[in-house]
Formats: sequence, C-alpha cells, structure tokens
Amino acid sequence: MDAAELRAEIKRLIVTELNLKGRDPESIGDDAPLFGSDGLGLDSLDALQLAMSIEERLGVAIPDDEAARAVFRSVRSIAEHVAGARSA
Amino acid sequence: MTPRLWVTGAGLSTPLGDGLEATWQRLIRGDRAFAPVSLFDATQQSGRVAAEVRGVRFPPEAREVQAWSRTSAMACVAAREAMAMARVTPGRQRVGLVVGGTTGGMFETEELLARLHADPGCRDTLAQMLSHPLTATGDRLDETLGPFARVRTISSACSSGANALVVAASWLLAGEVDLVVAGASDALCRLTLSGFNALAAIDREGCRPFHRQRRGISLGEGAGFVVLERAAEAQARGAEPIAALAGWALGSEAHHITNPAADGALVASLVERALASADLTPADIDYVNAHGTGTVLNDRMEAAALARALGTEVSRIPVSSSKGQIGHTLGAAGAIEAVITALVVSRRTLVPTAGLSDPDPALGLVHVPHAGRRVPRVRAALSNAFGFGGMDTVLAFSEPRASVAAVARRRRDVVVTGAAVVGPGGLRGVEGCATLPEQERSRAAADPDAHLDSGRARRMDLAARLAAVVTQSVLAESGASAANTGLVLGSSFGNVDASAGFMHKIFERGPRFASPAEFPNLVPSAAVGHGSIYCGLRGPAFATADLETSGECAFVQAAQMVAGGEAARMVAGATEPRSAIVEGVLGALFSRTPSRVGMQRDDLAAAVLVEAEDEARRRGAAVLARVAAWDEWRGDLRGARLPPPPRTPRACVVLARPDDDLERFVERAGWGACPRWVCVRAVGESDALGAVAIAVAAARVGTRRASEALLVGVARGRGYAIVLAEP
Repeated sequence: MDAAELRAEIKRLIVTELNLKGRDPESIGDDAPLFGSDGLGLDSLDALQLAMSIEERLGVAIPDDEAARAVFRSVRSIAEHVAGARSA
Repeated sequence: MTPRLWVTGAGLSTPLGDGLEATWQRLIRGDRAFAPVSLFDATQQSGRVAAEVRGVRFPPEAREVQAWSRTSAMACVAAREAMAMARVTPGRQRVGLVVGGTTGGMFETEELLARLHADPGCRDTLAQMLSHPLTATGDRLDETLGPFARVRTISSACSSGANALVVAASWLLAGEVDLVVAGASDALCRLTLSGFNALAAIDREGCRPFHRQRRGISLGEGAGFVVLERAAEAQARGAEPIAALAGWALGSEAHHITNPAADGALVASLVERALASADLTPADIDYVNAHGTGTVLNDRMEAAALARALGTEVSRIPVSSSKGQIGHTLGAAGAIEAVITALVVSRRTLVPTAGLSDPDPALGLVHVPHAGRRVPRVRAALSNAFGFGGMDTVLAFSEPRASVAAVARRRRDVVVTGAAVVGPGGLRGVEGCATLPEQERSRAAADPDAHLDSGRARRMDLAARLAAVVTQSVLAESGASAANTGLVLGSSFGNVDASAGFMHKIFERGPRFASPAEFPNLVPSAAVGHGSIYCGLRGPAFATADLETSGECAFVQAAQMVAGGEAARMVAGATEPRSAIVEGVLGALFSRTPSRVGMQRDDLAAAVLVEAEDEARRRGAAVLARVAAWDEWRGDLRGARLPPPPRTPRACVVLARPDDDLERFVERAGWGACPRWVCVRAVGESDALGAVAIAVAAARVGTRRASEALLVGVARGRGYAIVLAEP
C-alpha cells in the first residue's frame, strides 16, 4: 500500500468508525487538523475510538501518552506513524 | 425551614466490609480496598486493579438461585440492614422501594456469554438470564424483604443511587407512601472494566482523587440503602434519626456523553439549588462528600463548581472522596456515599480521601487526607453524584432537629401537553397519534434519521435516535422550551443486544479492542442522556425499567415528580428498538402472556409531555388532557385497586394489545361499555406499546375524539392504571 492509498484508507476509517454520515472521505484534507473547532471537530472520545480501530484494522498501535497528540494531528501524520511502525 | 425528611435506617455492603459498621471503621482508618481483580480473568486488561466485595452473602431465603445476581445479593444485605435499623415492617406500614443501578445481572450474563462463546451449542443455561434485568433486584427485594406498596427501578448512570433517594423523597412529600427503602447496587463486571479501560479512564495504581498525579478511576462495587420517612411521623412512631435529608437538586448538563462541561456551571447551580431547597447557605455546610472520581476532568470540574457555588466558604469546608477507598461503585455510588455522608453528620467524624499524598494545588480545596477526623459538629453536608450524559445530583443532609413540622403535601395538578410516536408508519404527532388505533399496519419502518441532524446524532444508537425524535417532536409541537424540561424514558431490558455484542468482541479479540465510543451507549440511561444532549433538556433525567410496563412506569414517575414540584415538565415515554435477545430469550423468561413469546417486534418509541397545569397555563400551551388519576400495584390484576369509573359519556379505553384479563378488569372498574382502542395492530408488537397507548389516549382526548380515557398496562407481577380526561 503506497502512502496515498494509506491516507485514503485512514480517511475511510475516520468516516465509518466515527459515523460521519454524509461526509465524503476524500473531502478530508491530508493536512487538515482533525481535532478542535477549526478542523473536523473531533474530540477525545473520537481519538480513543480512532486509536482502537487503527490498531484493529491496520495492526499498528497508537501510543497512549502525549505522543498520541502529534500522531493525531492530521491524516498525514497518522499515515506516517502507521507506515513508520510497519517498516520498523 | 425545618427538615421534613429523616434518614432512620442505613445499610451498606462495600469492598471495605459486610455491613455499615465494618465499612465505617475501615473508612475512618483510611483503608484502601484495591487489589487485582479476582472475580474474572482480567489479565488482558490494562487496568486490572479494583475494589471487590469479597464473599457476597446470598440471602438464606433465596430459592431460585439463578434469579439472584451479585448485584441483588449485595442490595439485599444493605436494604435488610437499613430496614432492621429503622424497624420497618412492610405490610403493616405502606412502604415503597426505590432501586437504582446500571449493571444489574451483567456479571452473571457474562458468565453465560463466556460459556456460549466456548460452546455455541450450549442450550441449558438461558435461565441464568433470570437475574439479568435491572428490575430483578427490586423483584428479589420485594420477595425477600417485602411486600412493598410500590417498587421503582431507575438508572441515571453514576447518579442512579442519589436519584433513588430523590424519587423516594418525592413520593414522601406527595404522600404516596409512609416510608421508603431507597438505594442502589452495582456489581463489578467485565463490561464495565473493559469499557472504562477503553476510555483510558482507569488509574492502574488504584485511584487517587484530588491528587496532583491522578490518572483516573478505579472500579468498585457494592450497595447502599437508606430508610427515609417524613420526620413528624418518624418521631411519632419513636424512630431515631441518623440525619435529615434536608434538600436536593438534580439536572442535566446537555453537553457530552462522557465528558463534563469544564466550568461546572450545572453542578454549581445544583449545589445552590440544593442549599436553597434545604434553607441552608454555604456558611451552614461543614463537609462535602465529593463525586471525586480521580479523573483529571471530573475533579477539576467539581472543584470549580464548588468554588463557584460556595464562594469564600470553600476555603473552610473540608471535602473528601470515598472513591479513594471503595472505588467508583457506579450506579451504587450515589447511594453508598449518601449513607456515608449521613453518617458523617451523625457521628461528627469526617471521612478521608485515602491515597492523597500530594494534593493538586490547582483545585484549591480543603482536604481530609489519609484518615478520618473527629470534629465538634457537622451541621450540614453535601453529597455529589454525577453520571454519563451529564445527569447530576446533589443531596444535602443536616442534623435532625428535635422539633419537626408536619409535611404539607404539595400536589400540583398535572396535564399532558404533547404526544408523539415513531415506529412503523414513521413519526406521528398529536393528530397521527389520535387516529393510530384506527390505522392498518404500515410497511414503512421508523426512520429516525429523517428527522435528525446526522452530525449531532452520530454517537447515538437506535434507541437514542428513536428517543430523540419523539422528544424533539413533543417539544416542538407544544412549543415548550427545552431548557427547564426533564426526560424519563423506560426500557424493559436496556441495551442487551449491544452489551452482548460488546462482550463477544472482547471474548473474540481481547479487551484491547473494546469500543470506547460504544461503551457509553450500554448504560441503561444512554438513550436519556443522548436525548437530553440532543434536545438541550436540562431538567431531571433518568431511565426507568419495569418489564413491558416500563413506559407506563416512566409516565407515572414523571407525573409524580411534576405533581411534587420536582420539575415544571417532563417528557415521558419508552424507547425499544428490535432486540434478538428479547425476542429469543428475555421475552420468554419474563412475558406475562405466553402468546408474546418469540413474537417479532418492531423499532418503536413514544412519548408525551407531562406538565404542571399552572405552568402550561402560564405559557399558554394547548392542554391535551388532564391526568385525572394514576395508580400502580405489585402482584396480579385481581389484587389491584379499581380506577374511578367514567364520569362522562364519551369515555374510551386504550390498551397496548388485546388481553382477556384486562377486559375483566376494565369491566369490574365500570368501563366495560366504553369503546376499546388497541395499539398493537397499527405499530406491531413492542415493549414500548404501553407508552404508545398513553400517547394515543392523550391525543384522542386532546382532539375531542373522547372525553376521557382509561389505560391499563400490566406485566408479570405489576401493573399501572391511568385516567386522562378533558381539561
């Protein structure tokens, strides 16, 4: 899976796991902030759900400390974390 | 104002000890009860330390062992202790029972699910689900400690126990009963441990409320019960008060399903209202037993709320959390901690926050670290309890006075100002409800999403979406403001299918893959919490459970609370999505009539708006019907009191479904000649049909199709009768 495919997969995961009905996964920007009111508007409960489903579907654990904040900045940062963990 | 209600009995079953004295001695010593979970295999869980009740005593008179959960057994220990202390004799006194909780028999159901997971062909154990329903605890207490004049089962997540005392108080002030045994019980189970771990909310070391390094909760389990009675009558019969229940306040944040609003505005206003209702000021308060879960967010919010409500007095008033010793006992917490707070008042000894080696200076609270402390007096004390969905309650206890005033029974007239049903045939407002029994079954299924904003509804399961649709509809059609409206919804068995699915995934893949977003939807009050958040309701909110009469139960409870002045108006109804487990197992175990066993059900919800008549008049609302009479009973229909006969020529009878026993009851009550309307034909079978019948009756009277209507709803061992009449 190349980087673009991985980002597309993560976007689909965000829409289905967080039940963002009617949202086109492709409309989520690679670098758009996911949390807070200036981005997708996700919150801490979404972060937990997303971390669980990324581990379940993509086989990569999200760190459960401050490092998670950096990973969850955007779709691109999640994809980089997943790709990095897979090649490690 | 002189406190009007006394606590005359109290009982506990906690991780610190079997009974009130054993618990108290270890509480004031500052013991912590945390240890690795032994009840089930928790080795795969990230946080696996909890406070367990060791050697739960099952009552000697328990005959059908499978019908007893650990939750019910602990409840029996605590309720029996409270009743013995108060010298309560059910049968001779008119005694009510209110039970709060969240997990019911989930631990026992998990044992069954684990066996089914190992051997899907296993068929001999379904009777184990006899202990599953939330109502099972009240039923077991009724059998062993009763008979009780009425029994109520409620849930508002982690404020359930505090709200059990509020319901009891509202019964006493309305003169519904002479005494109430009220409390709550919740047993530890895999579902809650996995769920709170999924929320990353568990402190692996054992929780440390108010600590600078606090990392979350620890789960506990247990039961707490009190006997509450009107002070004047308690004094007349020579009962000794422990403390007075001086005041209370409850409401909803309408903010978020798991996170509290950071500013603590609702909790601050509840503290102020609880003080006002008790005729107290912050200067009278000598102690606060905090909700104090040990999460970063809760403790910060609670400290902010106390500072806001208590003003400068917050630097004088000691605050502690018992959760550092017994853990978070979830649905039982509000009741156990109410007992502890009453004891603090009576014994003039503050209980500590154990494990508080390094208090968080940002909280600005006065603590009771490590061990209990004698003080000259505790004139009055508060007990806080907050639940998922932002359903929060504050109780105020005070020293009982020697001279007590008789209770002036306050009973406001109650009316119905809105009605809605969503199910087969879609959403029906007042006009649609009025003609519902005349309609044929529609093929069109309930489509709640057509009426909701998909973004705001994204966390809501089907039960919550159905609930939000009818709640939104009754408010909009009657033009009522959401802000000071409460919500009470019934469900016979809660979210049993999703709970089984949640557990199945844990058995299959391990607790690491428990869904954090799904867990809050498994608590019995989830639909109420979501409904209040979606519609912005800030009044009292909780769920009721009473088998197939859960909707009737919700209506009667709302009418009682409105009549007693606890709320200006409440949306009351039931929400019941289709459930394979109810159709296949629970329906067979609990249905009153064999014909309903295995019957396919439909997604269905119904609600009415129950309002104080003066409030409806003040806002110029169109009144559909006056609530002319209501009654509830335990036992079968032959022992039930008859409702008043019809007073007008165009009376009708509305029933959920045709029923020969009900026909005979209606005949005996003098309503035999009135036309019958049954609801099942139009919307299909469902445990929400009782709530549909109430909406239909209110709408038929409201649209002048009838001058009054009798509703009778019965389930196994219980029933309700309601008369609605022209305003």
